[in-house]
Amino acid sequence: MRVGVLGIGKTPHKIQHGKSLRDLVVEAGRAALADAGVEPADIQALYVGNVGSVGFNYENSTGLMSAHHLGVVPAGAVRVEAACGTGAWALHLGCVAILSGLYDTVMVLGAEKMNDLATVEGTSIIAQAADSKEEYFSGLTFPSGVALTARKYMQTYDLTEEDLAHTSVKNHHYGARNPYAHLRFECTVEEVMRSAKVADPLKLYEVCPMTDAGSALVLCREEILADQPDKPQVYVTATQMATGTWYAASDTLADAHALLAAPAQRAYEMAGVSADDIDVAEIYNSFAIQEPLGVEALGFAAQGEGWKGAADGSTWIDGKVGVNLSGGLLCKGHPLGATGSTQAVDIVEQLRGTAPPDMQRAEAEVGISACRGGPGAVGAIHVYQRLEDGS
Amino acid sequence: MTVSAIEFSRLGPPKLRLYAMRCGACGVLQPWWEHHHCYACGGGDLSEEELAGGGVLSNYTVVYYPPRDFLGQEPYVVGHITMDEGVLMPAPVVGVAPEDVEVGTRVRSTLRRMKLGHEGDIYYSQKFVVDEGAPAAPPA
Repeated sequence: MRVGVLGIGKTPHKIQHGKSLRDLVVEAGRAALADAGVEPADIQALYVGNVGSVGFNYENSTGLMSAHHLGVVPAGAVRVEAACGTGAWALHLGCVAILSGLYDTVMVLGAEKMNDLATVEGTSIIAQAADSKEEYFSGLTFPSGVALTARKYMQTYDLTEEDLAHTSVKNHHYGARNPYAHLRFECTVEEVMRSAKVADPLKLYEVCPMTDAGSALVLCREEILADQPDKPQVYVTATQMATGTWYAASDTLADAHALLAAPAQRAYEMAGVSADDIDVAEIYNSFAIQEPLGVEALGFAAQGEGWKGAADGSTWIDGKVGVNLSGGLLCKGHPLGATGSTQAVDIVEQLRGTAPPDMQRAEAEVGISACRGGPGAVGAIHVYQRLEDGS
Repeated sequence: MTVSAIEFSRLGPPKLRLYAMRCGACGVLQPWWEHHHCYACGGGDLSEEELAGGGVLSNYTVVYYPPRDFLGQEPYVVGHITMDEGVLMPAPVVGVAPEDVEVGTRVRSTLRRMKLGHEGDIYYSQKFVVDEGAPAAPPA
């Protein structure tokens, strides 16, 4: 199975008070259309990942709104939602649509406009992506639910907060070099440790910001891309999804591992590659602890050792595998519906060799993106490959 | 979280009691919210079982940025309490400073005001306090 990536586009990831949700949709979508060299009329279906426009922006039917403003009418259009896995699910549906043979060319787009509201309102809306009715009756929030996972991880593997702080240091090293990132500064372990407490043991530099952004991909049947050898020959070669634990109270470390490990195993088989083949990975890390969990689930390190790569260099740009060379969600921010599609765009840039110089992994040919959400409820894996022969 | 008066009538009263759900098929005890099927075996025969109120704090976090309904309580501690009956319950732990909270501490439940809803509705539910009468936790 192969799906051609004909075009990619993204907006800056930052607070954008001057732009609306539809502005972000159009900016990202038009960028992808231009990169693909196709017209809106060529798009046969549009999958729009958006988590919270009903709450953040008081508007709904984001898929239909996007179809109008991008001018892809009368293509079919739908809004996709699966918590933080939303953008990845839109990508999955786009791939499935192409693989089904029903469509030749589709657009996958993720967008979120989070900063029209105050932080407390945003926190309440984000909490609805987990069990806000029963479990969060206890006063839990999304960050604090993940904080419980972080403490469990520290207890189980006898780690300190300093051990885990290296992940933020690595992400900020690359985030500072990413012109599209929200937070563009470097930090040290000491600065991570001194940053404000958000949900103990998680501190501010271990938590992603609320971000306004959009990103998009134009996907096509593999023959369409192969017939244009002047275009970068990057393909999605695996797409696999999973669900996991809806409640933090029953989310064990084994569950958190399986949420990505199971679809990753299926994805490796689907693409015919192994963890050792991966050059670059974008791993969901709205909270720093989720990066080592992902590193382990993708098979780059043993359980309990996924944090070490950020400390010893093996997940840096010239290490065994380059993990989150974009700065990750910790620096790009986490525009909920756009996060999964931005991960895809960033990996495609790596495989095309067009990432910013200080972020570009040399000779990257195989990439993977891992998205999670809920925070234990949805897992999503995509594998991407540059195939010069195109066939 | 915004709720209607109708939803309040559905969500509020059950939270006054401390109970869990016992699976009639496999016997696993699980949190109150599991009433459609057993998360362990998938069985549909779940029944309410009262809890005595004692347990051990097995994990915790301190919330510095609360959702709207909990504004004014921050920073507050939310714990995972392993009840003596074996089920894990998420609940606030009160009456102890965040820096003094320790995993392994014995706690007991107490009915307290939990949060304020948007329409002025007051939710009461179970919070936990340190069980001063309990013997010190054995060394880990």
